[in-house]
Amino acid sequence: MKPLEIVDYAKSLDCIHCGLCLRTCPTYQLTGAESSSPRGRIYLMRAVAEGQLAATDPQYREEMDFCLACRHCESVCPAGVRFGEMIETARAGLEQTQPRGFLARTARRIGFGTVLPSRFWLSWMASSMRLAQRTGVARLLGKLGRPLVEMPTVPPKSERGPLPATTPATAPRRGEVAMLEGCAMRELYGRVNRATVEVLTGIGFDTQVPTGHVCCGALHAHNGEIEGARELARSTIEHFERCGSGPIVVNSAGCGAHMKAYSHLLADDAAWRERAGRFSARVKDFSEFVAAEMPADVKGALGKELGTLAYDDPCHLCHGQQVRSQPRTLLERSGAARVELPDSESCCGSAGIYSMLRPDDSKAVFAKKAAAFRACGADTLVTANPGCHMQWESGLRREGVKARVLHIAEVMAAALRKAKR
Amino acid sequence: MKRELIDELRGVLGAAGVIHEPARLLAYECDGLALLRQRPAAVILPRTTDECARAMRILHREKIPVVGRGAGTGLSGGATPVEGGVLVGFARMRDVLEVNVADQYARVQAGVVNVDLTLAVEKHGLFYAPDPSSQAACTIGGNVGENSGGPHCFKHGATTRHILGLVIVRDDGSVLDLSLPQADPLGYDLVGLFVGSEGMFGLATEITVRLVPTPAVTETLLAIFTDLDAACDAVSDAIAARLEPSALEILDRLTIQAVEASVFAAGYPREAEAVLLVEAEGSEVEVEATLAPLRAIAQRRGAIDIRRARSATERKKLWAGRKGAFGAMGRIAPDLYVADVVVPRTKLRELVAESTRIAREKRLKLANVFHAGDGNLHPNISYDRRDADEVKRVLEASDEIMKVVVAAGGSLTGEHGVGLEKQEFMSLVFGDDDMRAMCRVRNAWDPQGRLNPGKLIPVHACREMRGTERPR
Repeated sequence: MKPLEIVDYAKSLDCIHCGLCLRTCPTYQLTGAESSSPRGRIYLMRAVAEGQLAATDPQYREEMDFCLACRHCESVCPAGVRFGEMIETARAGLEQTQPRGFLARTARRIGFGTVLPSRFWLSWMASSMRLAQRTGVARLLGKLGRPLVEMPTVPPKSERGPLPATTPATAPRRGEVAMLEGCAMRELYGRVNRATVEVLTGIGFDTQVPTGHVCCGALHAHNGEIEGARELARSTIEHFERCGSGPIVVNSAGCGAHMKAYSHLLADDAAWRERAGRFSARVKDFSEFVAAEMPADVKGALGKELGTLAYDDPCHLCHGQQVRSQPRTLLERSGAARVELPDSESCCGSAGIYSMLRPDDSKAVFAKKAAAFRACGADTLVTANPGCHMQWESGLRREGVKARVLHIAEVMAAALRKAKR
Repeated sequence: MKRELIDELRGVLGAAGVIHEPARLLAYECDGLALLRQRPAAVILPRTTDECARAMRILHREKIPVVGRGAGTGLSGGATPVEGGVLVGFARMRDVLEVNVADQYARVQAGVVNVDLTLAVEKHGLFYAPDPSSQAACTIGGNVGENSGGPHCFKHGATTRHILGLVIVRDDGSVLDLSLPQADPLGYDLVGLFVGSEGMFGLATEITVRLVPTPAVTETLLAIFTDLDAACDAVSDAIAARLEPSALEILDRLTIQAVEASVFAAGYPREAEAVLLVEAEGSEVEVEATLAPLRAIAQRRGAIDIRRARSATERKKLWAGRKGAFGAMGRIAPDLYVADVVVPRTKLRELVAESTRIAREKRLKLANVFHAGDGNLHPNISYDRRDADEVKRVLEASDEIMKVVVAAGGSLTGEHGVGLEKQEFMSLVFGDDDMRAMCRVRNAWDPQGRLNPGKLIPVHACREMRGTERPR
């Protein structure tokens, strides 16, 4: 690979070095180091492309790995720099210029190549994790087992089954949607998937789930596994093309943002470019879809049934998809007591598998969020992404804050159950 | 840099407080003026005045030159490192130390971001008035160094009018505490002297700032013109009529288009040749007394529409657009040169036209977005630093603009400072005697000339100074 291909040189020229991104960047906030800021990282990328910095420099890798890829910087960039795409390219480049050691390579091959795209292995992993958690083996593993001890208990097999291929509308029928079941969502938060179906059918949509589909490839793309990501994108497109041409509802912000960007991912693939474009146009986040489609006469009356809610914007929903008002509209319509969470658009530190790869940094980023939650007076945190969901559950528990964490689909399902029309 | 020295600095600042790896240092090569670049030998990031002072003592012993840096948003190269020098960054000194609501002042660490200060005090009905366009990034410490301005400085005055006290770490690491919360300093006004010293007198680590009560009424107008000259004339008329709005800003067509294409799209009409953004604050009566005649002036000068922000959100958008203008120019070319000259406000139209002519002659793309009320022009020249010929033409154009402005009775800088960018032009404004006086003041603060060396004062003037006045 030539230097020009291991970073997105053209995009790096969009940055005019104004610095407006600095204050929003979680890693700059932690370190105060320019090289850990979006502007600094772009400067390094450009230096690599222009031959001022060796792509093999270990500090270059460190700064690119340190980034959470939350894309907060994009929301404040007057020049419209597409940092999310740039960091993905830079990470893919690093996999070539700084190949990992044998162990890391093997672990990545197993994780990205074997487990994530396979329901069998995902389910096997989930069962093993549950076993380790329940028997206390996780505790015995010491440092290695800490993530398992800290994360919420993996649900039993009975709650991890597949969604029905089709669930008919339970209210007067208004149309048909397809929905993403997801890789981790099904194993860790099957209840969120069921709530999603309940809401979609409850507002009059037959809901299909493509059988055999597992993973959209978002985690691959975020972590430099660009070829794996492309393969999964093509497979995802094929699966959903079999479910008609209606909206594709996604209840995981990270997956949704990525699926909306398939046309960028497959831009160099002439056979797939247009198909990807058509696919991406169908993708809608859960809140985006439901806020637009929920009948006006449905009035939720949740009150304090779920406590006082605070909504935390998942980065890949607000910065990645510009979906900000819709979740708030929905929560307003649920009738639930609610307060605003200060700084809700800043990253919680989950960032896909970042919380596993860099647990200390992830926790440091979360500390600020926990403080904001404590101060805002809510006792239920609402999110819209499985990674954030897990981060908040384990984080609040670690910080000793008694609070419930819910996906917005769960809130809306409860609201519909109690709704008057 | 020597290993032992890095270890010694780490002992004071902690491992995260010292950056010495070449790749990471690269990101510190330049500030907002990307034209001039120099990699520092190391960067240190103190957390307290004490850490800063202890580190400065080490650097003093080793005779290492020092450059201060806030957020690196400056546009005159004030934070460009010097060869072999250490950059002292304030990005880890972000605490608001004290807010005194009754006496309307706050004490902050130097690295507090300008907008965070206002966010921290607005619940008390107060705000920090100087609002540089980079206020979402730039630091109070950097503002002190450059005596920064901003749109609302038209009414409230630049940074220097808002600084009550300073804690300064001097070149040798000694600490000078000048933090009196009273408005009138006792004895020499060293604080006043320090503000705008561009990091050459010392490093301000803690700053006491004056806070201003939030006005009862704020109104924002957007007057739309089909002609840039007419917008300039409207401002000259408003000044002649002695109107005192809090801000009078002009954005031209190219700027409007860049902003409207960005996340900060404010609803400026894309087909306008210029918009005049006006804000007035005070009581309802005061605001109306300012805006009614302003409206009449704008109409007389040919404004085709005058819009009024109907809510705080609309007002915020209008200002966010203005403040994102510099960054938005990234859509036009990879680099932007922001000139910063001040012209007599009776000559706005002529000098804006002159800078446009100069840019055209040099085949450069120029956008105008400026603090019209202060006569503070920002001819923005888009370029690509990889094109050596274009860079040469940018510098020539900047050179000519400054000469034309000075000849017309104007000045070299309104708010960005002299830094590296304009030091050679100082002799257009100052004679040898003036420069010698400045050198003497500088020597009193920093006898070894280790603080931000090579900035502000033209190189030849300094050399003369050292030859004649300093004992060898």
